[in-house]
Amino acid sequence: MHSDQLLADLEARGLLPPEQAAAIAQDEQNRPFSLHQELRAALYLGITLLTGGLGVLLYQHLDEIGHGVIIASMFLLMMAGFGYAARHRQPFTWGQAVAPSFIPDYALLLGCLLFLALETYLQVQYNVFGSRYGLATMLPAVLFFGLAYRFDHRGVLAMGITALALWVGVSIAPVSAFTDNNFFTTRLGGVAVLLGLLLTGVGLDADLNRRKPHFAFTYVSLGANLALLAATAALFDFYPQPFLPKVVVVPLILALSVALMWYARRTQSYLFLLMGLLYGYLIVSYLFFRALEFSHGAGAELIITFYFTLSAVGIILLFVNGKKFLRRI
Amino acid sequence: MSWKAYNPAWPLHEAMQAASARWHRRGLLTAGQQQAIQVAYPLEFYRPGLFLRIGLFIFACIGALGGAGFFALLTELDHFRAVAILGGFGTLAALEFFIRSSRLYHAGADQALLYITLGWFTVLLIDIVHDIVPYSSRYGTSLGTSYLFLILGPLFLLFLAVTIRYADRLVAAGTYLLLLLLMANWLLQVPAGRLLLPFALMLASGVAYWLVKRLSRRPDYLYYRRCLLMLQALALATFYLGGNYYMVREGNAHISGEYVSAQIPFAPLFYLFTAIIPLVCIAVGLRRPSRIWLLTGLAAAAFSLFTLRYYRALMPPEVAAVLAGAVLLALAAWAVRYLRPARHGLTSRPNDEHSPHFNLESLVVAQTAVVPQAPPPGFQFGGGHSGGGGAEGNY
Repeated sequence: MHSDQLLADLEARGLLPPEQAAAIAQDEQNRPFSLHQELRAALYLGITLLTGGLGVLLYQHLDEIGHGVIIASMFLLMMAGFGYAARHRQPFTWGQAVAPSFIPDYALLLGCLLFLALETYLQVQYNVFGSRYGLATMLPAVLFFGLAYRFDHRGVLAMGITALALWVGVSIAPVSAFTDNNFFTTRLGGVAVLLGLLLTGVGLDADLNRRKPHFAFTYVSLGANLALLAATAALFDFYPQPFLPKVVVVPLILALSVALMWYARRTQSYLFLLMGLLYGYLIVSYLFFRALEFSHGAGAELIITFYFTLSAVGIILLFVNGKKFLRRI
Repeated sequence: MSWKAYNPAWPLHEAMQAASARWHRRGLLTAGQQQAIQVAYPLEFYRPGLFLRIGLFIFACIGALGGAGFFALLTELDHFRAVAILGGFGTLAALEFFIRSSRLYHAGADQALLYITLGWFTVLLIDIVHDIVPYSSRYGTSLGTSYLFLILGPLFLLFLAVTIRYADRLVAAGTYLLLLLLMANWLLQVPAGRLLLPFALMLASGVAYWLVKRLSRRPDYLYYRRCLLMLQALALATFYLGGNYYMVREGNAHISGEYVSAQIPFAPLFYLFTAIIPLVCIAVGLRRPSRIWLLTGLAAAAFSLFTLRYYRALMPPEVAAVLAGAVLLALAAWAVRYLRPARHGLTSRPNDEHSPHFNLESLVVAQTAVVPQAPPPGFQFGGGHSGGGGAEGNY
């Protein structure tokens, strides 16, 4: 309906001959309606429901006769998922593979999720890995990274990164990672920063050297967030013994924020710009408050509220009126 | 002077740019023509991508609340109403100033300032009404008290005026919900009103939908396009919820202050509504085709399934999840293949206007996929979501 209005306006201005406007109106009428996003969402929801439900069923029937059936069907389903993905695979490329259909992507995802459920089951029931938790967590990490690169799948890559983070956490602190599952406890915090930096570096490498450049987004967003979150946690002293001295943390976060903004400019990504902006603002505000604390001045609340107002207005004006930081999409 | 806050040419230029790019991609315009159109309809306003809009929203909130805090501290917090008035008018002035000077157009910062302005005036209004109303009638908590009318009435007028001036989606939704609340408030004060409430709600939704369709034919449709699309979806949703068995039964119990809901009058009618409306919505959405009808219908279908499960659980949740997942998977996979060449005006191929933020899907997977962790005894794996079909957002 509103395309008619637009076409009429174009014709009135003489920018479009009437025959062409009629052809466009015709095309707008007959253009097929795309259900692409809806179908993708349905596939993803179906996989989540199926694997979640099967996982629960498995635990409920651990000691019953029925559980063999469930295991067998899960295994078959997993192999079917992997098999379908393998049959429809594209030749390997360092660029982005162009697949004619997206169903194999979801078959691969289904296989990976079922693999996780089955592996966890084997560990619980038969204690296959014993207390070698490192092996148990490294296995999915290696598998997922391999699959992600071979089948060009960013979702599996993200799962691989998560598994890697868990493996690192498990290897550093085998017990605490399982007991309280807190990644930012004293020793783990420093490792989290390092892992985050490493992932960010891999992402940058992927982008700069054109090795799966479309993977860079996943690497950088997960890695930079991990590093920045862990570093910020150190800064605000949530733990009695911080794992990194603040002298190191402050420049680190500032440098990462600036790097993110630079990268955002390079890739035209608003997400990285927002991340850099927020973490950078956090650090600058932190430094400002520390300075205020040392000066012991009266009316600190006034200065704080004034600071917030001025800085926020300043940032908004900087981005709105300053030269265009990012091209408009 | 126009009553519109933004330049009415902006939405036209924005729509024109998007449409010409789409037509060019579909090979209906030559590159030269598209160039000419882009020059003739320049994008003179400022609206960055989604994430920077979120950032600007956050910083505008920090700025506005920091400013209000500054004034409150200067006046030593002794007069709340003065702070609210100053905050409201100050934020409003800042909003108008920023739109004029920086050409913001639904750019995050202006939306934040608008919501904060409305927040101040709402708080102020509640505070004033609270003082005017005699003490005895103040503490009626039910929806049917006449005291509530004193708040809802002026609030509705305020939201309506703001919608007309700023054409903001959320404020438009708020206006509509306030109108429905006003109607419920009035109905609950008359005898038999509670019995009529669901039907009145459905009728009002129908009228609202018709009105939105009428308004869509106005020449300034583009200025209000986002509002009208929002209202269309909301009208459909309230029509369904008005006839939904769960909402009617639990709402009834809530209004009469019962803890356990009892069977309601006309129950079979509401069973019928709950079952039929989602199917009709989906069918209309596919036939017309209209994404709003389709997505509302899918969400309604999910809620209908929830309603059914709430009163009559046919099977344990994990079995239901496995079955639903398998059916959904099979159905979707079949539909993808069946619609590969477009059939019946539908296709499973991506739209040519695909979103630049598509990368986000990988992060969603990272969020929801769980890596194995040695489970403590009794650990339940996964769990999975129930319902919410088609409730995905476009990034």
